[in-house]
Amino acid sequence: MAHSHHSTAHNSHSDLGEVDSPSTLITVYVIILALLAATVLISMSGSLGRYTLFAQLAISSIQATIVGCYFMHLRHSDRVVTLTALASVFWLFILFVLFMSDYMTRHMVVSG
Amino acid sequence: MWMFLVTEVLFFGGLFAAYSIYRMWYPVEFEFASSFMNIKLALINTVLLITSSLTMTLAIRSAKLGDRSGLYRNLLLTFALGASFMVIKGFEYAHDFHEGILPGAGSFGGEIRSTAEAQDLDTGKVRLFLVFYFIMTGIHGVHIIIGLGCILWLVQQTYANRIPPENYSTVEVVSLYWHLVDVIWLFLMPLLYLAGAHLSHH
Repeated sequence: MAHSHHSTAHNSHSDLGEVDSPSTLITVYVIILALLAATVLISMSGSLGRYTLFAQLAISSIQATIVGCYFMHLRHSDRVVTLTALASVFWLFILFVLFMSDYMTRHMVVSG
Repeated sequence: MWMFLVTEVLFFGGLFAAYSIYRMWYPVEFEFASSFMNIKLALINTVLLITSSLTMTLAIRSAKLGDRSGLYRNLLLTFALGASFMVIKGFEYAHDFHEGILPGAGSFGGEIRSTAEAQDLDTGKVRLFLVFYFIMTGIHGVHIIIGLGCILWLVQQTYANRIPPENYSTVEVVSLYWHLVDVIWLFLMPLLYLAGAHLSHH
């Protein structure tokens, strides 16, 4: 995939194939910190009102994806490893869909 | 290792699921209780954990490149950052105990109680948030302590010269766990500490 091309561009030691340069890692680190600052500012201002929670979770998800791709080396990983990682998200999705479909529809049931 | 991480994601997923339901049912009380959380300490802790993830990744890099002193330094830095996280957590818990920010019916008190009663909120629901706060941060803290133990073990392995570049995956496996615990914190931070940030009493 396009990832392999991407990794060689940042490689200072092409013989090892998978070593990110410190500058790449530090850039990633600064981006995560910037996102943290954004989520704190959004939360404290409360300017997004009812969309605050949505913004917070979106930012956390972006941070998690960046940590996964760069710190957990998913972007250099085998497809099987990536699929395993995505499977956790998928199962989490099933978990949330199933219990939410219960709890969010309970009020529709007329108790008798 | 990734399979284990999947089980960990689902384990915490259950807690997040329970939290979601109650937050949906009692949004006012949850945001109220959250506004008594110490955002400053949580923010410092988040920065510490993110930094420790960076140093952990640099440790893998050192291991791959055969840079033993670099590996040593990065592992010790990661350990120091993780340990600082737990120390700050300790101060935070101490503050909570002192201020009566506790889920028990008898121990719940102080400003959070008087404010809740003044605003005519159901203190049971406020205390329910505190149950989630202590269980989720507590279990997360246990994970940090286990991670710190693994990092110490890596330090010892490095000292014994048992991590040559071809064995870098030993460091990688511990780092995967460490990053996962970091990622879980990145979700706990907004859900527990920032939920009521706009109401701030402090």
